Formats: sequence, C-alpha cells, structure tokens
Amino acid sequence: MNLMLRLLIYVPVLFLIAIVVMGQFHDNANDTLRAAVRRTGRWIVWTTGLVVAMSVLGFLFIW
Amino acid sequence: MGSHRAGRASTRAPHSLTFLPLHMNQSAPRHSTKGLGWPVFLAGFIPGLLHFRMGQANRGAMALASCAVLFFAGFAFLGDRLFWWALVAPDEKSTWLAWVAHYLPLLNLPEMFNLPCTAIGTISSWDISFTGQRAWRLPRDFEHVAGWLTAASGMLATFWAADAQWQLTWRRDGAGAPCRPNVNPGLAAGLSWLVPGLGHVRAGQKDKGMLMGGAVLIVFALGLLFSQGHGCDRSVASVWWMGQNLCGVGTLFAALVTAPMQMLGPDGFPPLYDVGLVLCTVAGLMNLVVMVDAYTVAERSAFLREAPVAGGAA
Repeated sequence: MNLMLRLLIYVPVLFLIAIVVMGQFHDNANDTLRAAVRRTGRWIVWTTGLVVAMSVLGFLFIW
Repeated sequence: MGSHRAGRASTRAPHSLTFLPLHMNQSAPRHSTKGLGWPVFLAGFIPGLLHFRMGQANRGAMALASCAVLFFAGFAFLGDRLFWWALVAPDEKSTWLAWVAHYLPLLNLPEMFNLPCTAIGTISSWDISFTGQRAWRLPRDFEHVAGWLTAASGMLATFWAADAQWQLTWRRDGAGAPCRPNVNPGLAAGLSWLVPGLGHVRAGQKDKGMLMGGAVLIVFALGLLFSQGHGCDRSVASVWWMGQNLCGVGTLFAALVTAPMQMLGPDGFPPLYDVGLVLCTVAGLMNLVVMVDAYTVAERSAFLREAPVAGGAA
C-alpha cells in the first residue's frame, strides 16, 4: 500500500519535473507540455528498467 | 566590436521575432558565451563591489545596504544559532574544519554569498565553549522567519552579483547596441526566486513562466501536504532546507505558517515526512532551473534576431 502510494506520487511529480526541464528548450507552454509528456514517458521506461535491475541484484545478492 | 554592432544592426529588418540561443544567433559576437573570469566571480561574493568597480557607487551602496539590513534583521534574533544550521556542525571534532567555520564562513548556505555580513556574524558571535555549544542548540524566538531573512540576504547578494555580471557582459558584448533586454536578467532571476515563473513573465514568456512556476509550486505544496507542514523547517532539517530555500515564496510561507506548528503523532514525525521533505527539496531544485532559465531568457531577449522571411530580401 505504502509502495503504491509512493508510485502514485512519483509519476505526476516526474511529469512536473519534466515540465521544468523541457521548459528550457521551448519558448511557449504548448510546446513545453508536449515535450514534457514525451519526456515523462521516456523517464518512466528508464525508471522501470532501473527498478527491475536493482530488484534482480537485490534478489541475487541480498535477499 | 564595431563589426559586431554592424552585424547585429544589419539583421534588424521587420520580420517575425524569435528568441534564439546565443550559439545559434549568428549576429551575436562569438565570445559572448564566455564567462568573465574568476576575479569577477569571486568579487560577486561582496555585495556591491562589482558595481563600485563599474563606477556605480549608488547602486553598489544599495546592494551592500540591502544585503546587510536583511542579514542583521535576522541575525539579531538568531545570533550564533545560525551556525548550528551550517553544512557541518560547528562542534565538529576536526580542527581545520572548525578553523574554516570560524575564519572563512563558507559553511552556511545561502548566507555565504553575502560574505562580509556572514563573516562579521561568525567572528563576533563564535563561542566554542560548552556553554556556547549548548546555546547553539537552543531554539530562539522567531527563528524561522529570522532564518529566512538571513538566507534571503544571501540570495539577494547573488542576484546583485548576477546584475553586475550582466552589466559587465553587456559592456563587453553589447554596449551601445540599440537592442536592450526586456528585463534585467539579474532581476528576472530574483523575481523567479521569490515567485517561481515571475521572471519569465517579465521577460516576455508569460504562459511558459506560469506553467513552470505552477509546476514548482505544486511540488512544493505536495511536499508540505505529505509532511503535514513539517517538510520545510530549517531548525529540523537545515541541510535539506538549503535546497528548499531556492523556492523563496515556499520557504517564506513555511517559515511564517507551517514550521512554527508543533509536530503531532506517536513518534513526532508524520508518516510521510520523508516524502514531504524530498518533494520540498526537489521543488527548490526545480526552481533553480527556472531561475537560470529566466536569466537566460532575459539575456537572450537582448540578442533578439528577426528570422528572415523565406525568399525575402534581408
């Protein structure tokens, strides 16, 4: 439950961070929003990969 | 230099206006992305020094006075407790670290950017005795607001330094050119510190500024919400607060409203305190990006170039 809650917080915050990051490369809100959506998707893929990799490492060497 | 001005003037035909990064702006001088060197950077730690050197005595005096007033308004309440909130605890066993903390007040962020006032505060109130060490730990009246004020003096010093940096850059690269920035870049950064996105609004990117500023404020508000208001408290998590303070209005709100509240709960801290602490800090770091972007947007507006219309004669 706690993990689910943290994941629920993580994704929208990731999107808000992406807005600020992508804002540096665009001059208006529409372009920034579109780029932020794409960037958030990419970051979620990266995050999933990292979590899976760390879980595998944890399974092999810690648990 | 003359050729730069001539080059810029030749591109000022009436076309649609676009912001171009400096490296894409062929009319801007090639060295305009270079810094001004270490001496200028280091002089920025003394508010007003660069303005004095540029012959702007009044502006320099205003910079020094504004930073000093803010610092000592807070320091009057805090005293040496301020140094308990440094990067390293002042009773650290290492002798060289204690020496650094005493004579080079570089461990308090962001107060260290207002170096003269911080140095006076450190040297005048330093007390390494056991009594002094006990005193550091004692809460003071109005310490949250007072801590915000001393921090604001450091932030203000950086914005004065940014203003001087901009003026020196302008003298080097663009003095005499007809195109001026929409807003002073140092002011744009300062406004964005106080209210995220306001610098962009002043620099001409209203919708983007509101979007970026809104994103920062939402993350900060979420942080306060999850930590039940305690995620931003300098007296509890002073090192995290250094990052949070990059969102000026957020930390001011916390200093006035949420930080003085008593913690409730079985073991003091709220269940999601860690999430709140991290979110408030992330919001501060996000606002650092917003501030730098506001400075850059304002700076670029001085190098406005009209995009040539396809097939049109320039």
